[in-house]
Amino acid sequence: MSAPNRKLLFDIGSTYFKMAENGTIRHYFRDFNRPIFDDLMEKCGDTIAKYRPEEIQICSSANGGLSTLIIGLSNSFSLKYAINIAFNSGINIIDTVLYHDIDTAKPPVEMIDVVIVVGGIDGVGRIFDDRLFDFLQDCAYQNIVYVGSADERGYLSEKLEKLVVLDNIITDKLKINEGALKTYLTDLYQADIMGKEDIKHLYEITANQIYSTPYIVNRALSHISDRLDVADPFIVIDIGGATTDIHYSSDLVNDNIVGEGGYDRLVFKKLGVYKSRESLIHTARQNEFVYELLNYLNVTENILEEESEAATKVLMQLAIFLVLYKVSRHHSDYVELKLENLNSIVLTGGITKVLNQEESETIIRFFYKKLLHFHQIPGIVLDKNYEIWTYGMQEFTNEEATKELS
Amino acid sequence: MKVVTGVVGNDIHVVANRLIEISLKERGFTVFNLGVNTYLEEFLDAIVETDADVLLISSLNGEAEGWCRDLQILKKQYTFRKDVVFMIGGNLGVGEMDPDALVPKFKNYGFDLVFHQVDLNVGLDTLENYLKAHA
Ligand code: B12
Repeated sequence: MSAPNRKLLFDIGSTYFKMAENGTIRHYFRDFNRPIFDDLMEKCGDTIAKYRPEEIQICSSANGGLSTLIIGLSNSFSLKYAINIAFNSGINIIDTVLYHDIDTAKPPVEMIDVVIVVGGIDGVGRIFDDRLFDFLQDCAYQNIVYVGSADERGYLSEKLEKLVVLDNIITDKLKINEGALKTYLTDLYQADIMGKEDIKHLYEITANQIYSTPYIVNRALSHISDRLDVADPFIVIDIGGATTDIHYSSDLVNDNIVGEGGYDRLVFKKLGVYKSRESLIHTARQNEFVYELLNYLNVTENILEEESEAATKVLMQLAIFLVLYKVSRHHSDYVELKLENLNSIVLTGGITKVLNQEESETIIRFFYKKLLHFHQIPGIVLDKNYEIWTYGMQEFTNEEATKELS
Repeated sequence: MKVVTGVVGNDIHVVANRLIEISLKERGFTVFNLGVNTYLEEFLDAIVETDADVLLISSLNGEAEGWCRDLQILKKQYTFRKDVVFMIGGNLGVGEMDPDALVPKFKNYGFDLVFHQVDLNVGLDTLENYLKAHA
């Protein structure tokens, strides 16, 4: 018997496969010696065989992500807005050059997926000159997009062959205009996922578009309060093997940026507990509060070198602390969230298998006390079944999900 | 003519800011109002992005000095394509500070026009005359 909305859902992570069937979620630890597709078929092939490709939906965080280089006119507007849009489009490796300093800036050595050039409100001209072209000559890049003043479009298009020109991201009132650039970058990100050899094979079992997991989790946010006991405003911290993502509603942003509302996310590529364990430890060691924190957790620094269950717990706690730190007012490189206004913090991802309620509360209490001088902490909700991603998947109507892929 | 305006530092006194925006518009300026709680860097960044002719900073809570004393140093990190007029007004000092000392002090910080507890319209008339004289 086939029910009308029978679905088999997969989340292909860097460490686990998760499979959701009829509300039951199973986890499979990945075999890193085998291609993703073969590993998945061995572990879940029998179940997959029971479904038609239209009934199977997949999201994946197993791709590496895209890199961008942003060249902008000022820190507070051009660069800030472009960084924000890039983050929210799933791009996680971001390098910036302030145009004023372009003479002395070092071109990145790696291949850049997309260069973003931005500056000026419409009506402002003579912004860019030969210094831009000289700099770009020394950069290796795949795509280049211009999202600054309309008055510079003709000049830049003439000089830069592959240039894609989109709406200015800075409005006449100096506010942010996300639309066109966000769509462009999200599409690039999608194309990148689909271009990955490993992921390509997955289209043998699904007729639906494969989305990135952070995108899906973000879509789930508006459904969370229907299913879990959370109070607005809240954030979702998704701590996985390779990355840590934080999802938040945009009215929590402490900023003059006026966006379109809704939910946004940040991806911290170097804060995972398995694949990017080394960089997590490195980031932790550099944090001014880490020794106090380890002391508070009653452990010593040596634990960071251990390969034990206790060590993993401490790393998870560190990851929570570090993402909160990075979006707090102690850290200015990222978006600043009004953490003092939060009513709930939802934890999802691999972390829910490792930390219990008390251990999660302990670290969050340390953060609130130490950094915000608060004695009350928001309610902590553990997504124990790790099911939040499935809310985001269910949101798709079949029609939307099967939309033609270009 | 384009004017960037706002209230500098951690200053939340918003009433004057609204009045300034309205008055400037009435006088025919294009206004970019960054609102309260604005840092000096943001003001200068806004000039660069908009190609503004005038920066009009206001400060009411007495913290102007602390927030503006590095203007000269900061200016050196920018290339403006115009000769921008830097202007500040509001309550520029605290308590028993000598009001006569305030104007030269802020001029020294890099402001062309300084108005301590001066009526807004007087200030804006002075600005217009200044712009005419330097046109
Ligand atoms: C309302 C008010 C508040 C409200 C503000 C609400 C809001 N969001 O706007 C609240 C209660 C929050 C508040 C808080 C504080 N306030 Co208060 N506040 C006032 C008050 C009573 C009125 C301000 C006002 O709106 N006036 C109406 C507007 C239209 O006038 P204005 O601001 O003076 O602006 C005019 C001129 O100054 C001028 N002007 C302004 N900018 C410029 C720029 C240029 C270029 C020119 C030419 C002219 C110009 O034109 C305007 C129109 O004529 C004044 C006292 C007073 N009677 O002025 C104190 C006053 C400004 N506050 C003061 C202080 C100290 C504070 C606090 C530090 C108090 C505290 N200890 O917490 C905090 C600071 C908060 C912060 N982070 O900024 C002092 C400042 C002292 C100083 N500079 O020497 C004042 C003067 C009171 C006093 N006599 O001590 N305040």
